[in-house]
Amino acid sequence: MSKGYYEFFCPVKVIAGEAALEHIPFELSALGVSNPLMITDKGVRGAGLSDYVITACSEGGVEMASIFDDVPPDSSTEVVRNIAAVYREQGADSIIAVGGGSVIDTAKAVNILVSEGGDNLAKYSGAGVLKRPLKPFFVIPTTAGTGSEVTSVAVIADRKKGVKLPFGSPFLLPNAAIIDPRMTLTLPAHITAATAMDALTHAVEAYTCMAKNPLSDAYAFSAVKKISEHLLEVMENPKDPQGRLELAQASTMAGIAFSNSMVGLVHALGHALGVICHLPHGMCMSLFLPYVLEYNLRKGKIREPLAELLLPLAGARVYANTPPEQRARRAVAAIRELRDELFERCKLPRTLKETGKVSLDLLPKIADVAMDDGSIIFNPAEADFEEVLEVLKSAWDDM
Amino acid sequence: MRIQQLKSQAISRAKRLYVATMMQVVGRALQAISQEDNEIQRELSAFPENFTFAMKVLPAGPGLMLRKAADGSFIFLSDSDGEADLTIYIKHIEHAFRMLSFQESTATAFANDRMVVDGDISSAVRMVRALNRLEAFILPKLVAEMAIKEYPSITLPEKLIQGARIYLRVATNFLSEQRKAA
Repeated sequence: MSKGYYEFFCPVKVIAGEAALEHIPFELSALGVSNPLMITDKGVRGAGLSDYVITACSEGGVEMASIFDDVPPDSSTEVVRNIAAVYREQGADSIIAVGGGSVIDTAKAVNILVSEGGDNLAKYSGAGVLKRPLKPFFVIPTTAGTGSEVTSVAVIADRKKGVKLPFGSPFLLPNAAIIDPRMTLTLPAHITAATAMDALTHAVEAYTCMAKNPLSDAYAFSAVKKISEHLLEVMENPKDPQGRLELAQASTMAGIAFSNSMVGLVHALGHALGVICHLPHGMCMSLFLPYVLEYNLRKGKIREPLAELLLPLAGARVYANTPPEQRARRAVAAIRELRDELFERCKLPRTLKETGKVSLDLLPKIADVAMDDGSIIFNPAEADFEEVLEVLKSAWDDM
Repeated sequence: MRIQQLKSQAISRAKRLYVATMMQVVGRALQAISQEDNEIQRELSAFPENFTFAMKVLPAGPGLMLRKAADGSFIFLSDSDGEADLTIYIKHIEHAFRMLSFQESTATAFANDRMVVDGDISSAVRMVRALNRLEAFILPKLVAEMAIKEYPSITLPEKLIQGARIYLRVATNFLSEQRKAA
């Protein structure tokens, strides 16, 4: 079915593949800057990943103005202000973020302050508040899941006020996303699995939710294929740079897809579970994906697109051997099989019970928070409190 | 060419008039349903007293604005010019016309980027649910099914009684305002 209207926007230059980091000096010079501030975290620094970037830049004649490596997992306005002060003191002219979701969001917020001036980040919170381009900004993701390198949003906690400040603007997008297989080569198995399931969920929801469109479909479909083909291969052989690159590209593609078509109930539930039980986002996505798909399928909303996804999920032979009316259900089964494999290999939980961190009495609270999540609007099937609770009960122990 | 121009101007004026009228109707109907319906009252309970909600067509209206009263219900404000705590901006009069003539559901309008939210997203989600429930009551089932994602389980007597009450309150509200103006 063709979509009556859609919008699609992704101006980020994607620089991907072997020796991609070595392109950074040229890309910086093309933007007329040469004094970048690197923003990263202790984990990335400790694993030596930032050294690849520093060396690649140094060999290309670019030295970092400074390196801030103390971004916490849940960043705050205070951290952003501190980094902005470093940027100004060191006379930096651009930003390179090296890390996962928190580092990237922090760097986006730092870019607001150093470009707009002042220290009051809250002033720029909301959608479309920024009206002009910010400083040159590069992102080097070190996980293959969030897709933050191609999304135009960031969330930063204001601890004094006890609120999370959302920012949404196309000007938050980096000038370039550098996808280099070296950056994900040492990711532990459980993080590889959880982040890949995060990317898979981005792609599957992008392909099945209300704002799907032909361009986001193309990215989502290919992302699902890459993850299905390479995730278990990488779990088997973590040092395979080609497999790592495929997963990293899939994550970026899924990010492009969902940032242009939004996500649905899996994310609404995942956000709520993450806030209440402090579980990693990727794990939350993996926990809910099959149950939400089954719910949407029961409501008769996603049969066609989900049936199409059987091809990238299970391959041509399975697709051809499955009668058309069974393809959607078989696609969910393929996701369940993938989760079973991941449970076998790294104990990535498949149910809320298996996490050991969620109690049954929390389900109504999780449902309540999920009901108010913005993603729920884009879910193809309506879901009231009781229905959301039913999905949570299915996810509790897969009964 | 001249006739064509006149025709499109007339259509444009008619659409604007329709949208302005519907904003008045929807605003007053939200006030009415917020005094009657437990579900809507539960949605509004998350908002503080004096919380204001607006829906406006860019760049300069028409629009509607409501304020939450001490008893938890919404009060329709005749002046929608002020700044609200939560505003749903509709990008163009044509988009507002499609939505308010129920050719495009609120959720589809969001999915089609017809609208932008200024304010807390969770509050916007609650308001969308409130609007959906209102539409389920005041529209014939066939039309409501186009305007919302899923028609809720409301019995026919419940729909007729609640719908009649809402329309009665809207009419009373209109008349009393006319009297005040006179």
